[in-house]
Amino acid sequence: MAKKHRPYKVALKYCGSCNPRVDLSRIARHLKSVAAESGHFQLVPLSEDNINVVVILCGCPRACGNKEEVKARARLCLVTAGESLNGHPIPENELPSVVERELIKVLGSLD
Amino acid sequence: MMTGKEYRESIRRLKPEIYYLGEKIDNVADHPAFLPHVNAAALTYDMAQAPEFEELLTAKSHLTGQKINRFTHIHHSHDDLVKKVKMLRALGQQTGSCFQRCVGFDGLNSVYSITYDIDQKMGTDYHKRLVNVLKEIQSKDLMVSGAMTDVKGNRRLSPSQQKDPDLFVHVAEKKKDGIVVRGAKAHITGGVNSHGHLVMPTSAMKAEDADYAVAFYVPIDAPGVVHIFGRQTNDTRKCNCFMDQGNVDYGIVGGEALIIFDNVFIPWEHVFMCGEYEFAYELVERFATAHRQNYGGCKTGLADVLVGATYALSQVQGTDRASHIRDKLVEMAHLTETLYCCSIACSCQGYALPAGSYMADPLLANVTKLNVTRHVYEIARLAQDIAGGILATAPSELDWKDPKVGKYVEKYLKGVEGVPTETRLRLLRLIEGMTCGTALVESMHGAGSPQAQRIMIERQANLERKKRLAEKLAKIGEQPLLVC
Repeated sequence: MAKKHRPYKVALKYCGSCNPRVDLSRIARHLKSVAAESGHFQLVPLSEDNINVVVILCGCPRACGNKEEVKARARLCLVTAGESLNGHPIPENELPSVVERELIKVLGSLD
Repeated sequence: MMTGKEYRESIRRLKPEIYYLGEKIDNVADHPAFLPHVNAAALTYDMAQAPEFEELLTAKSHLTGQKINRFTHIHHSHDDLVKKVKMLRALGQQTGSCFQRCVGFDGLNSVYSITYDIDQKMGTDYHKRLVNVLKEIQSKDLMVSGAMTDVKGNRRLSPSQQKDPDLFVHVAEKKKDGIVVRGAKAHITGGVNSHGHLVMPTSAMKAEDADYAVAFYVPIDAPGVVHIFGRQTNDTRKCNCFMDQGNVDYGIVGGEALIIFDNVFIPWEHVFMCGEYEFAYELVERFATAHRQNYGGCKTGLADVLVGATYALSQVQGTDRASHIRDKLVEMAHLTETLYCCSIACSCQGYALPAGSYMADPLLANVTKLNVTRHVYEIARLAQDIAGGILATAPSELDWKDPKVGKYVEKYLKGVEGVPTETRLRLLRLIEGMTCGTALVESMHGAGSPQAQRIMIERQANLERKKRLAEKLAKIGEQPLLVC
């Protein structure tokens, strides 16, 4: 049975994109389409209250977006940093789908 | 913050006096000669609204706490200095050209700190005036040009020694409610499509030059402010071509103008220095440092585009697998990142000023810019090397489209199978625009000519300490044994 608090709130936060080594907007577009199709979660601004997960999209390993004040906006967070997710290497072309899978997994932990 | 569209509308409402190719220009925002520069400036507004870039292109005002465009921000940390460089690279990647707002940005930061210092010593109230103007600039998200370089006349003579007193901008008259200024500033980037100009002295001044130690803000359409727009390489292509412009949307440089101040009245509330000649050099050095810090940011963004264009062209021409081509592309990337290293380093080594604002390290900022005067040329040389002579001899877009000879251009200028000739021509024109003519000169003389950087490097290099280090190891004279 569906939980009352669905759809979950997911916020995206970009590092700033000074010289990204991967196409961050591709990940964002993928999550947007998954959100629209599944209805499992919705993308909301970082300024919104009660965010469940914040996905921090960083273009390189420096991960400028990975800051405490950003992470503090949600109970859980995922961090991409160039070709990696939460520190694990992921090829660029797999990043959108891997981020999606990981996001669904952490949202599942909230159920 | 304004959007790009709102910026365009805002400059349409202004009525500045502008001349170009012998004609008076009434609408900068829509005239083909100026449109590329307006487009590039508009992107500084639109990217601030985009989630991908807002972290770099926006900041929190230390004056109001409001979210503002970073181009109106006063740096208050190392993070601000680094973000500035990263913002410039991101913008350079998107425009492949100059986006013009950094000069006024650097001017505001320099005048912000120097007015504080003047007030501390002289008991004036310049800083308060600057803060009031800055609040307006931040809240209205105004684009401000930075006007420093005077026309200078005889370079052997100081401002007050010139036969014509107007060859440096100066105070011609002091009134109860303000000053009247006369003179001209040259090479002013974004000079015709800004909302106003921040005018600063151009060099160190002596007591006899006190009238030339003047800094002020003036709206672009104030009475007596006359703009003469500069020519650029291939500028008529903006009016009769599309593809042959290369960088169709953003042009090749920032759009520079000669700005004449023909007895312009400046109210006191817009005057930030008036006769305090002993602060002129420090203001110039702070501005030069801030502006030279930039060049490993914006120029690396442009170089990213040029490297990409050159690589793509090598694929179209079938040379991309040759080892010397790969090596040259690597060299271009190496030089690009070397410049970026310089800008990041001078930002990380920056420091706080008495006003609380931050400036980059002057020595490393000057090294950055001096490297730009060489590396950008070498990057361009390698791009031209890889592109081949066709870069200078390709037929025009009009011949490619011509019903009679177009088929020959299509047939004989084709590269590898499966790629249209048009792709090759477009890449060639982009590389041509970025490496031939006006664009390169900007890397040489923008933010000051190479000798200006050498002078500052000599002042900062601390040669005497280096000599002592050597003497100690060589056991010359009496030197302490321990490192100190």
